[in-house]
Amino acid sequence: MSPAPRSGRRLFWRRALWGLLWPRRYERIQPTISGVVLIGLALGIGTAAYNSASNILFIALALLLACLILSGVLAWLNLRRLEWQLEVEPPLRAGQQAQVGLALRNGKKFLPTYALWFEFAAVMFERKDPPKPESTITGKGIDVWAALAKAEASETKGTVHLGTRLDPGATERLEWSFTPARRGLVRIELRGVGSLFPFGFLRKLTGTDLRREVPVWPSPVEYRRLAGAPPRRPEGELRRARAGNEGEMIALRNYAQGDSHRLIHWKASARKRQLLIRQFSSQNSDACALWLRTDASVWTRPEQFELMLSFAATLAQDLFRSGRLLSTAIDGAPQASVRRLADVDAFLDRLAEVVPLVEKPGSPSPVRDRPRFNLLTFEPDGARGVAAYVNGSKTAAA
Amino acid sequence: MEARPQRLNLEELHLLRWLLGGCLMLVSVATVFYMDIGSEVFAAAASLAILAALVRPALPARVPIWVHRLAFPAILAFFAGDLWRSGQLLPAIVRLDLLLLLYRGVSYRARRDDLQVVVLGLFLVVVAGVLTVSLLFAGQILVFTAGALGLLMVVTIADSSEGGAAPKLAVRGVLPGWAAHAGWRRLARRLWEISDWRLLASAAALFVGVVAVSGLLFLAIPRFQLENSLFLERFVTKRAMTGFNDSIKFGDITEITQDDSVAFDVDLSDPAQAPAQPYWRMIVLDDYRDGGFKLSPALRLAFDRERTSANVFPGLGGVRGAPTWTFYLESGVSKYLPILGRFGALRFREAQNYRYSPDLAVIALRDEPAAMTAYRVDGMAPEAGELHDLAFAGRWKTRGPAGLPLQVGLPGLSDADKEKLVRLDADGGLTASLGAQEFSRKAIELLKSTHHYSLSPHIPAGPGDPLVRWMASRESGHCELFAGSFVLMARTAGFPARVVTGFKGGTWNAYSGNYTIRNSDAHAWAEIFDATKSAWIREDPLAVAVSADAAAEKGDAALAGLMDRSWAARLNSLRVFWYRRIVNFDQQTQADTLKAVKEATGGSGKWLRDAVLALAQSAKAWFRGPWDTTRIAELAASAAAVGALAWSVATGRWRLASMGRGRRFDPVRREAGRWLRRLDGPGDLVADLQRLRFGAAPTWPRPGEVFRRARRAASSSPRRRRAVSRSTP
Repeated sequence: MSPAPRSGRRLFWRRALWGLLWPRRYERIQPTISGVVLIGLALGIGTAAYNSASNILFIALALLLACLILSGVLAWLNLRRLEWQLEVEPPLRAGQQAQVGLALRNGKKFLPTYALWFEFAAVMFERKDPPKPESTITGKGIDVWAALAKAEASETKGTVHLGTRLDPGATERLEWSFTPARRGLVRIELRGVGSLFPFGFLRKLTGTDLRREVPVWPSPVEYRRLAGAPPRRPEGELRRARAGNEGEMIALRNYAQGDSHRLIHWKASARKRQLLIRQFSSQNSDACALWLRTDASVWTRPEQFELMLSFAATLAQDLFRSGRLLSTAIDGAPQASVRRLADVDAFLDRLAEVVPLVEKPGSPSPVRDRPRFNLLTFEPDGARGVAAYVNGSKTAAA
Repeated sequence: MEARPQRLNLEELHLLRWLLGGCLMLVSVATVFYMDIGSEVFAAAASLAILAALVRPALPARVPIWVHRLAFPAILAFFAGDLWRSGQLLPAIVRLDLLLLLYRGVSYRARRDDLQVVVLGLFLVVVAGVLTVSLLFAGQILVFTAGALGLLMVVTIADSSEGGAAPKLAVRGVLPGWAAHAGWRRLARRLWEISDWRLLASAAALFVGVVAVSGLLFLAIPRFQLENSLFLERFVTKRAMTGFNDSIKFGDITEITQDDSVAFDVDLSDPAQAPAQPYWRMIVLDDYRDGGFKLSPALRLAFDRERTSANVFPGLGGVRGAPTWTFYLESGVSKYLPILGRFGALRFREAQNYRYSPDLAVIALRDEPAAMTAYRVDGMAPEAGELHDLAFAGRWKTRGPAGLPLQVGLPGLSDADKEKLVRLDADGGLTASLGAQEFSRKAIELLKSTHHYSLSPHIPAGPGDPLVRWMASRESGHCELFAGSFVLMARTAGFPARVVTGFKGGTWNAYSGNYTIRNSDAHAWAEIFDATKSAWIREDPLAVAVSADAAAEKGDAALAGLMDRSWAARLNSLRVFWYRRIVNFDQQTQADTLKAVKEATGGSGKWLRDAVLALAQSAKAWFRGPWDTTRIAELAASAAAVGALAWSVATGRWRLASMGRGRRFDPVRREAGRWLRRLDGPGDLVADLQRLRFGAAPTWPRPGEVFRRARRAASSSPRRRRAVSRSTP
């Protein structure tokens, strides 16, 4: 048993003392109705005791105060050695229910934990430069209430109760569901762990710093395929070995959700003690390269822009499943080849954050870096629709 | 497969909540029975109703909805009417509280209602404690606190099990599921199944901690003397026992002696000065008429005007070197405070309204105290057989018998009765020529020769005064008749005399070291004025004749005959402890306690320092001694032992040693191994036993439960068990 380092002990006391003066974020202790009644009772009995010098009332007062102390001790013990871990299972898609898991473990040896609740929040945010600090006094043109209302609107809150006790050494998993309203980046936070235990006098909420930032993909969308020009193979082009489900094995990679179980290489997996799947070269050369352009001048309607992103996401996934997606790119970025599911996920992650691009005058056109054949692009289709084009022909529409 | 430990489901939690709430209400309602405010009928009715609803939780569903709607208006109307009728606020509030508890007891409760039950019950318990200052309060408040904490905890857990969506208000008239399926035996069985001795021990330890912390807080809370009297007593009127009023009829004192409860306890700062036979005087009665003695209006003038203070300083009468007497007078005895005689100072805990007569050595409060009254007396002589009264001596000298009709005359008697008394005195040779002492001796001798003591006297029928008739007869009588007869005989002979009532004697509690005087010690005696001494001499016609030496005995010799070591004395010592250390705990006592703690701490520190110094000295002397092989070996062995201990503590190996040297000797694994060798039972059971035997401790199912199943499996298949044991080498 090694003694704790002196610096660690100093830090603990510093934190403890500072915590008395300046509580941590989301750390609250609020009396409930029974707590207010208890405090009122204690004050009343104390006043009567001093007024009458009756030791009976002093005894009652001492017992009430001792019960308050006991309540604090038990509340502290209840939350002690409790571990929690936030588990978010991607993908999150706009408009679809997402499950946030919370794995709990009671590390105590023989004391159970009771009566907890967990406050979650999902906050949509944008990754950009932090705003300049403003105050309500010096800020100009700031509508504080509007800003607060906007912040509230972008938040989804929820509370999950631990209905049963958590035995010593036991684990439990809780789930919270929420539906992201739109694509983007969402910060899922475990804002606090609260409890009324043991007697319901105080509502104790302990703040946590547990958060996960997860991209929310565009929502899937229905689209229709149209009879368009078949994909062309350029003359003399060699068949390129590309990851797919046919041909010779070219590599082993880690198993990703969605991969077929028939592709699992059991021997290698047993050796490495993790699932590995076989990657084959594909003979299919009618695959497409997807190029997404987000010109603000083209996509003037926000809802059409969102539809385009949803269409692109849905189409990319469908093409990948059928082994016909070669590469993806957004605006001026180079084409990123798609060999496995993680590549598609990365594309969808980028889609979550993409915004209409305002082209600067004089910037080079990115068209010349793109494949000449089987290039999948998107154009507005009317006032509300979006169409997908391959080799200049409309092949699908949403 | 890991078995989940058992826990109460939601219905069982609600049933447990109902049980705790009902018990809490019964405990608090029980306090009303000893409050003595005339609400016993209400308390009994409430107790029965709550008990019925507790035993049959389905009963409250039968209460009609209109009863719930009208309950609060009816209760409020009753309170208003009760207050108007009785005119006393506190009893009316207590009855209101009882009715509210009764209503809560026969209704299904939500969280808010349970909180109301706790508050209403606490009010009753605290009021009972304040009014009675009884030791029972200590037990009740502890039981109530434990019950209330348990109830609140169960409520919190139950609400959490409902996901925080428990209803705020209970639905009236609807039978909840848990009440429909209530079964107390099943609940008891389930509680037994889920009980974990470690949790119970922790809960008990925590409660003991609460009591200890509350004790420390009680000692540490600063006290300020605000000189306010006890406020609750003003709202309750109590009546004292008839025998200790300023007007008694024959038999009043004897009636009190039928009661063996404690009247008061007396602490003595110096037990060496404890008298053998103390007479605790309370009232002096000088006016005899209509077959009874009373305090005459003239003698009332001997009392000073009423004062309000916590201290009584008569100015004169204190005895130097006298011990300090602390009295704990129970409620319902009298407004006249028992004392031995004149004193130097008397102190109450808080300001009191009182009147004191230095001539009579009698002190009276304005009202009978509703709770135990404590007071401390300094400068009071242990034995006051003589009460000097210079004022009366002066009046006697100047006015003579004719000028003091009350103390000498018999205005309430007819001429025929007076003639009888004269004949009685003449027959007994009781004349004014005798001195007061000689007269008293002969009069008492005469009374004892013609009458016997009895608690059931017989006064012959006939005309005239009943006391005179009794004196003329040979019937037995009680102390009042004896004392009254002595006074009549003395006055007939021309001696001033009067009756004094109070208590005589008592027992000495061997455990708490104090006098305990019971109502059965109530007594009446006489006082005769001795002009030669200018003093009233106490004469008790029923006193047992003892030698002068025996009468003058004090301390251990005197207390030997009064020693009480019975179980009643043991219980009474708890009550005295309660009064001394808790009820009478004031600023001075707090300062003394803190000083004692400081001295004890300082003393123990000094002791420790001295012990360490002595150890160092002895070690130094040992090292200086001649060295030989034995000494070197001893030193080496000590150093090795200390080193091994330090190493084991530093590396944590001592923990393994205390756990039985690791996994192999774990008793649970050993037991599981034994069962595995014996059993060939169901797969689940064997799997659990294997997990206990070989698995990591955090993954174990509950060992107790698994072993119980193993025992059941073993007992259900005896043939298989025998086959297994035969095949095992």
